[in-house]
Amino acid sequence: MLRFILRRLLITIPTILVVITITWALVRLAPGNFYTGEKKLPAAIEQNIREKYGLDKPWREQYLRMMSHIMVLDFGTSLSYPGQPVNAIIGRALPVSATIGLLAYLLALAVGIVAGSVAALKQNSKWDYASMTLAMLGISIPNFVLGPILVLVFSLMLYWLPPSRWEGFPSWNVVLPVITLSGIYMAYIARLTRAGMLEVLNSDYIRTARAKGLSESQVVIRHALRGGLLPVVSYTGPALAFLLTGTVVVERIFALPGLGHYFLQAASNRDEPLIIGIVAFVAIILLLMNLLVDITYAYLDPRIRY
Amino acid sequence: MASVYLKQLITGVAISSLIFATISCKVLATNEEFFGKTTPPARNLLRYVNGPEPESLDPAVSSGQSEAHIYMALYEGLVEYHPKSLNAIPAIAERWDINNDSSEFVFHLRRNARWSNGEPIDAHDFVYSIRRALLPEVASRTAALAYYIKYAQAFNEKSVFVRDAGSNQFLLDSDFASRSASLSEPISQKSLKANEREYQPTTAQPEPHPDTAFHQLMHSPGRLVLPADEKKRNKLLAGNAKLGTAVAGKEFVKVTGEDIGVEAVDNYTVRISLSQPAPYFVDLMAHQLFRLVPRKTIEKYGAAWTAPANIVTCGAFKVKWWKPNNELVVERDPMYWDVANVQLEEIRFYTSSDHPTSMNLYRVGEADALLNHSVPNPWLDVIRPKKDYMDAAEAVITYILMNTTQPPMNDLRVRRAFNMAIDKVTYSKAKRTTTPLSAFTPQGIFVGYPQPKGEPFDPDQARRLLGAAGFPVTQNADGSFACESFPAAGLTLIYPTHSSNRALSEFMQAQWKQNLGITISLSNMESKTYYAARNNLEYKGFALGIWGADYMDPTSFLNIFLTPGDSGSGWWDQKYVDLLEEANHTLDRQKRYELLAKAEKYMLDAQPIIPIETPSVNWVKKPYVKGMYPNPASLYPWKFVYIERDSSKWDYKTPSLAD
Repeated sequence: MLRFILRRLLITIPTILVVITITWALVRLAPGNFYTGEKKLPAAIEQNIREKYGLDKPWREQYLRMMSHIMVLDFGTSLSYPGQPVNAIIGRALPVSATIGLLAYLLALAVGIVAGSVAALKQNSKWDYASMTLAMLGISIPNFVLGPILVLVFSLMLYWLPPSRWEGFPSWNVVLPVITLSGIYMAYIARLTRAGMLEVLNSDYIRTARAKGLSESQVVIRHALRGGLLPVVSYTGPALAFLLTGTVVVERIFALPGLGHYFLQAASNRDEPLIIGIVAFVAIILLLMNLLVDITYAYLDPRIRY
Repeated sequence: MASVYLKQLITGVAISSLIFATISCKVLATNEEFFGKTTPPARNLLRYVNGPEPESLDPAVSSGQSEAHIYMALYEGLVEYHPKSLNAIPAIAERWDINNDSSEFVFHLRRNARWSNGEPIDAHDFVYSIRRALLPEVASRTAALAYYIKYAQAFNEKSVFVRDAGSNQFLLDSDFASRSASLSEPISQKSLKANEREYQPTTAQPEPHPDTAFHQLMHSPGRLVLPADEKKRNKLLAGNAKLGTAVAGKEFVKVTGEDIGVEAVDNYTVRISLSQPAPYFVDLMAHQLFRLVPRKTIEKYGAAWTAPANIVTCGAFKVKWWKPNNELVVERDPMYWDVANVQLEEIRFYTSSDHPTSMNLYRVGEADALLNHSVPNPWLDVIRPKKDYMDAAEAVITYILMNTTQPPMNDLRVRRAFNMAIDKVTYSKAKRTTTPLSAFTPQGIFVGYPQPKGEPFDPDQARRLLGAAGFPVTQNADGSFACESFPAAGLTLIYPTHSSNRALSEFMQAQWKQNLGITISLSNMESKTYYAARNNLEYKGFALGIWGADYMDPTSFLNIFLTPGDSGSGWWDQKYVDLLEEANHTLDRQKRYELLAKAEKYMLDAQPIIPIETPSVNWVKKPYVKGMYPNPASLYPWKFVYIERDSSKWDYKTPSLAD
């Protein structure tokens, strides 16, 4: 197990370097620069800017210099927010995204697993139909529709909750973005749980457990859920990575200063160090989450060995 | 079975009607006159949704409007914008004198101006700030606004003077000049005879300003300036034999900050010498580029000087806290010289780039005013009749550029036809927040400016022009037009991604189809990609352009065509440049305007562009926010803004800009 984890961690390093290189090349290939704007800059002013940021050097030199900094985890200074180190921007934006993401994740897990289990245990009942109808709705309504509808009802009409902005945690401001963000995940998890549970509930070992005389709650919680949640686990690992590292749409609708918002801004601003920093960071989180999924698998299913 | 469903149906209907009733009650309870709540905040604070995240708190760095709003709270310059007209009003300079041809300015500072750390502000701070703004290492994007100052361009471009080592004399520009000889030299360049008065005496300044060695130097003929880069310089010298011979064997001296025409005559007097007359220069001095920055703090902390822990400011407000991408909160600065007249205790600049999100904050009463253009087009039906909607003309133009370097758009007749085929009046009526435009300066902004008129909507004439250019337009049996021979396939209209740009482009496309029978395809581009394509002339056909004034003068628009390759259309004409230059050497304001109008007409006749519209400011502010006017540049000197709690004194319509 330890060898497996170590091996996986070591593979992560070259993967990240490839990701960074591709990102760098894509930013370089995109037309325009961070200083491109409505007015064409006089040549001398453009030259001043290029010299200030070392863009007048040959690209090999620029690439090597960037890489040598990244090796010591220094992603440099943002171009569109001069004076702000990329590491500081990520360090500031991440807690916002992670708070919203983690809350949305927990909400999605709690509601999704309960709804999915109930639907599976009471298959073809009105509980099953009701939760699966809601899940279908949740999957069909994208968050850029769900968000504004929630704002319309709960902020603009009822004046119950603030419509946007980040006031830290805990505050009422997190309620609407968390619900908006978790909607689709909740629905997926409910459907996955139901499907997984239905399959497991008909399997031999559950029949064995029942035959042993275990109570129904023991059968469900100790045996059925463990097997039934495997598909959920493989789905929620990467989902958690995406939730934690911010979502562009929800952060924009609710004006949250999270990573997703910066990512979008950085791409449209051609802010090379910031894009690379965020991409590398998200890639690391994603790879770690996948590793975590594999470890969880081994725990949930005793047959899996690495 | 059926009865079960019926029961559920009844329950469902009952619950939804209950929810609906609650909601309707709440909606009816809101004030219909205004959009959303109108309860003033408990304290004297203003919550302003300021659009995107500011790049930096360094006023020399950014050119954006969101940053300008913040800089206007934190920094003051020699002058400030008038809240309505945007003309210069006294700020740290309590008065100023302008020489006889607007080529030199003397600013007299007030003695009680202080930094937020309590240290006094003097003339040397201004000399430092302007030199720094032009420093090549600072790489300011707006540095060109200061190029009027003598040798400022040479300094910012890292150029060199040429000196004869033996005689210690500099080579002079006039000996190699390319500028037309007919224009007289500005007074600031002529040597002063002892008894000649450069300035008209006034009651405040009956005596001439003290003369200094630097002043004498400024008044000597301009030195020759060459590029510091050897390759560029040699290329220039190789192309000009006279210059090459004269320069041979001489030494090159780098232009430094000490050479530019900014001088501290004494601790409270700043003299600025320009290389050309510029009557609007004092108004331009309110621009963020010229605002005061703290020398000691910058030298101590370097790039980190704008961090909230380090920053020292000089405006009516100082940084309270900054949560990047969320809010910047500034509070009234007790050190500010005019603090007694500042009514707001605090301004909260909220970051939000999403218009509906901003509107929601405004509606529920969590924001008091929004950035201009915040009202989304589909909301106008509801918002426009409200009394807190701000409707006034903006110093902005929307136009379409044509790539005049490629056929068929290199043919004047074709360009004229495409202009005359667009019914701009109908477009403005459909869009509702604009006035139609036929010139290159915004409609109704520059009072007294005899704005020329471009050609009117005339589809018949447009079709005739196309025919004359070799692309005959025929009429089909159903009344529609066709122009088979026109090579429309290779042409596109490019525009940056934005829903309103899309609507505009589709309207233009429909007009050309309807009136000329030509279908131009549309290409929606990510904004940086679009700017790169447009500015480098890498497009075929048409490109949408939007331009806002940097300062309140027609040249802020007309200068787009001043330098070859800058306009994005490929059109450039020496005669146009000469006309502008002549206008800028004319002292009489009205005569100058007439000459500028002549230049504008000359450019319109060449038709490198199709004027479309002058937009409206299109934003909302709560009626209790007073002293904030929908001026043409949407710039608000915050010290005049206040919260009015007496509802009888509220604004019940767009406040007037007339005094």
